[in-house]
Amino acid sequence: MGRYRWRRLRNAIIVTLSISATVLGVGWLVLILGALVFEGFGGLSLTVFTNVNSGPGGGGGLLNSIVGSLILTSLATLIGTPVGILAGTYMAEYGKSAKLTIVVRFINDILLSAPSILIGLFVSVIIVKPTSHFSGFAGALALALIVIPVVVRTTEDMLSLVPRELRESATALGLPGAYVIRHVCYRAARAGIITGVLLAVARISGETAPLLFTALNNNLFTVNLNDAFPSLPMAINQYYSSIYDDQKQLAWVGSLIISFAVLALSIIARALSSTRTSS
Amino acid sequence: MSSTADISPAVPSPVPTVADRSSEEAGKLVEKILIRNLNFYYGDNQALKSINLALYDRRVTAFIGPSGCGKSTLLRILNRIYSLYPHQRAEGDVLLDGVNILDHGQDLNLLRARVGMVFQKPTPFPMSIYENIAFGVRLFEKLPRAAIEERVQLALQRAAIWDEVKDKLQANGLSLSGGQQQRLCIARTVALKPEVILLDEPCSALDPISTAKIEELIDELKDDYTIAIVTHNMQQAARVSDYTAFMYLGELVEFDTTSKMFTSPGDRRTQDYITGRFG
Repeated sequence: MGRYRWRRLRNAIIVTLSISATVLGVGWLVLILGALVFEGFGGLSLTVFTNVNSGPGGGGGLLNSIVGSLILTSLATLIGTPVGILAGTYMAEYGKSAKLTIVVRFINDILLSAPSILIGLFVSVIIVKPTSHFSGFAGALALALIVIPVVVRTTEDMLSLVPRELRESATALGLPGAYVIRHVCYRAARAGIITGVLLAVARISGETAPLLFTALNNNLFTVNLNDAFPSLPMAINQYYSSIYDDQKQLAWVGSLIISFAVLALSIIARALSSTRTSS
Repeated sequence: MSSTADISPAVPSPVPTVADRSSEEAGKLVEKILIRNLNFYYGDNQALKSINLALYDRRVTAFIGPSGCGKSTLLRILNRIYSLYPHQRAEGDVLLDGVNILDHGQDLNLLRARVGMVFQKPTPFPMSIYENIAFGVRLFEKLPRAAIEERVQLALQRAAIWDEVKDKLQANGLSLSGGQQQRLCIARTVALKPEVILLDEPCSALDPISTAKIEELIDELKDDYTIAIVTHNMQQAARVSDYTAFMYLGELVEFDTTSKMFTSPGDRRTQDYITGRFG
């Protein structure tokens, strides 16, 4: 066999392997989404959005879980985003080579990949145990602790990407440092930072583990954050363990709702980051 | 007229204040900036060695020399933009209207409003054309809306870009072409009514047509401003400047009127550089 034919054969083998790997990877994703739509779409009805959780026998909905998830996610984002942006700003703008920055960056990277159940346990120990009851506050705090490292990381990265020349030319106009950061650097990094926040929101909206020991769940409609608090992931967790088909069906519907909400957020984040240079 | 020997530190100069600038007869030379025994360090690395030089009021001074000779470094001292970086320091005197700007008490933001700078790469801020200019003005002066609009228009006219952008003031500054962006940056600097304008290779990223426009602009601006320009283009230095300084390896080799420098330079190295024998 000539060298050229051998090369072509090798090429064909590698290409075949790569394509199969891609199909295998994407295939699972398609299967998951397919199962989700297949199982969940049938159960989608108006009552899902108008009724609260109920026992077996039908008629139950997810209203309380959806509202609960929205509140928990919003609150966690409200707590985590400012902290994350301020910390990221310090690291990129003020303490670029400070010891504190190096330490915080290291710990932040660990937090970024910490198992979320650990964060749930931690918040449980510092809030649920002293107050001796589950609460929405504890759940929101646990989710916020997941938001912070994501936002810190994206803020620092995006601010570091702002060209040195842009910072210098703003400074050369006589603008004070804080003014340069607020009016020029944030603007230049805005799309990237928003993308980071949206990705963090997408991530926490599906988290179950941090809520297990903190917000727990609530089958009633409530907006009282000082009490056990409902959420979609916990409802899915509860319903899917049920032996009744109508409750299992509700778990699928909940998963479908979360997936599409996250999908929508990802699309928005993607659209924002692609307009980063032209906006 | 003037050579390196003439501007030695020993020569005391009557220092004009801003107020009597207009009463000065056109022909008289006034030292706007006087540099005495200036040394500059990047960490332990000495980049400028005992520079003595004067920049004359409402004249254009060009800085030429091979890459790394310290031209840009010198320019970056005149508005103290180097102070952004902790390991850079300057020693000696840089007198602006008789006041040493290297003093610790110097208000850097006020200094930079008086000594504007335009960089090599056009750096429009990520905001509208109008805002690019208005936002610096607003910081320094509390003006009614109409006055700001007028100031923006004047600055854009001064930078010879008004006709091209007057119908799209709300468009993003980044949507302009490179040459337009650079003129926008000049307009932004002019809008703050500086006394000195520093141009750091302002045309190196531009095509010949845009370059010609900027050179014309420099010629007009020198009626009102003291201009220092760093350039790699010898023809440009010859075309736009009244005085030329040749720098080599961190030293000021020769300083004289442009016509003298390009016809009968006093130093062998100047002659070699200008005739293209090195650099």
